[in-house]
Amino acid sequence: MKQIVVHQEKCTACRECELACSFTHEQKFLPALSRIRVADFYEEQFYQPMVCVHCADAPCATVCPTVAIQRQPDGQVKVSDERCIGCKMCLLACPFGVMGFSPDRGVAHNCDFCDDQPQCVEFCTPGALEYADVVSVEALAKQKAAAALGLPNSAQAAD
Amino acid sequence: MPDKYVLIGNSAAALAAIDGIRRHDPTGAITVVNREEGPAYSRVALPYYVAGEMTLQDLLIRERPDYAAKGVTLTENENAVAVDTVGKQVELESGAKLAYDKLLIATGSETIVPPIQGLDDVPHHYLWTLDDAVGMKQAAEKAATAVVIGGGFIGMLAAEALRKLKITLTIVEVAPILLPQLLDDAAGAIFLRAVRDQGVTVKTGAMVAGVAQAGSGIRVTLKDGEAFEVDMAVVATGVKPCLDCLHDAAIDVNKGVLVDAYLQSSHADVYAAGDAAETPDFLSDERSIYAIWPTAVEQGRVAGANMAGAGQAYPGSLGMNVVELFNVTLAQLGRFREAPDDEAKLLSPGDNGLYRKIVVGPDGRLAGAVYLGDENGVAEMGVIHSAIRRREQWQGFQPGRQPKFVYADVNARVPQ
Repeated sequence: MKQIVVHQEKCTACRECELACSFTHEQKFLPALSRIRVADFYEEQFYQPMVCVHCADAPCATVCPTVAIQRQPDGQVKVSDERCIGCKMCLLACPFGVMGFSPDRGVAHNCDFCDDQPQCVEFCTPGALEYADVVSVEALAKQKAAAALGLPNSAQAAD
Repeated sequence: MPDKYVLIGNSAAALAAIDGIRRHDPTGAITVVNREEGPAYSRVALPYYVAGEMTLQDLLIRERPDYAAKGVTLTENENAVAVDTVGKQVELESGAKLAYDKLLIATGSETIVPPIQGLDDVPHHYLWTLDDAVGMKQAAEKAATAVVIGGGFIGMLAAEALRKLKITLTIVEVAPILLPQLLDDAAGAIFLRAVRDQGVTVKTGAMVAGVAQAGSGIRVTLKDGEAFEVDMAVVATGVKPCLDCLHDAAIDVNKGVLVDAYLQSSHADVYAAGDAAETPDFLSDERSIYAIWPTAVEQGRVAGANMAGAGQAYPGSLGMNVVELFNVTLAQLGRFREAPDDEAKLLSPGDNGLYRKIVVGPDGRLAGAVYLGDENGVAEMGVIHSAIRRREQWQGFQPGRQPKFVYADVNARVPQ
């Protein structure tokens, strides 16, 4: 499954991703309506884009009282606009704070990868966002962690 | 592995228990005893049906074939009247007996009927079951004015539904604020003002003494003597665990069925989950019942898994609620009213319609939060929710900066 991969060290908090997302989905340039959010710590110059990771055991889906949030065959955790009643329990359940709500449509929303063409990634000038296969991302993370421990080949061993 | 599972109840807890059982036992026979008709519906969605935003079909969260697909027999319109823990069987109202190896009490709650004089003699409506909602919707179609007795969670959801139908409302609440189970005094005062500003009459610190038929309407008399007339009456003074089937069973019951960290009752083969269960609490040593959907799902999952032998510990219930009423979004987590040893951290004081408060326990850990504001601010409450669950310490205010809540793994990387 492909995911939005965040390279935090490249993020400059320019917020193009938030504008691209809110315009694509809500036809408004309103960061508050974006499904990706940049947490900013300006004094430390630390910026962290936060976006739905489509959790294996998704708390949003667990608490949804109308089974509006369900995992799709491709692995995506998706909100059904028809079934969602706008109760916002999923916003209260998401540990990453990346469930959002559209006041105009009265429904909750999370990242839907823009039909396999995520616009946040398209518009991310610094290259902090990437749309890539999760398996390779995991392998990369393992390699990085292994390298940090001086164990260059442990990633392959773990696979 | 048990052969026969019986689940009394057909809502959040029982449905989650089916999944919990099936994760560990793909084949054992499961029977669900439903005292209502049909497959499961969402209680949370009932106010939206009353408001005309959903159809009866929309309310359903399962279809009959969904049960069969999981090897579950759904018994409809059947009330469990007794549990025989020695013979290990459940007696149904029809006289039929269901043998079990493992039993789940997931009977939920029923509405409390308040001691109001004349209540039996006038038409009045609750908002708890599907039948209640159908009755309320029918009455609302003919009503121009209504009284809502009880300004708690269900009462306010009923009020919101009736407001959407342009019905003129009077809400009577015994506490000094609306939604005392969800708001502290400061947020309660802001919300009360917002509701009154929208033309609703709210009588706080008031109780209804009696109701009586007056022509085609209902005359409501308060304890202080004030009286007024309305077209319809809604009663929402709370719910209580529905434990009728346990009246002579040898199972320890307090307010709900007392269960341990494995959601097992005093009888080894009997488990309880959801509103009917009094379970360990996440923040205190007392057992608690929150009667909320997420808690019922979490408990149902664990109870189901344990009925199938998984031996999972339940981490304890944490109160959480969120609701949008009268164009204001409100949310609550954990211990939202500070106890004497707690400290309240006010993040936003309530001006400009934004109120954010965090309660920090005597151990310095986050214990609860209250939020009043717009819809998207609830996302931050989700992060605080996970921080409470991870028993995180309050990090403190930094001078001249708004506290910011992001997921812990991120926070840990921020140079302090």
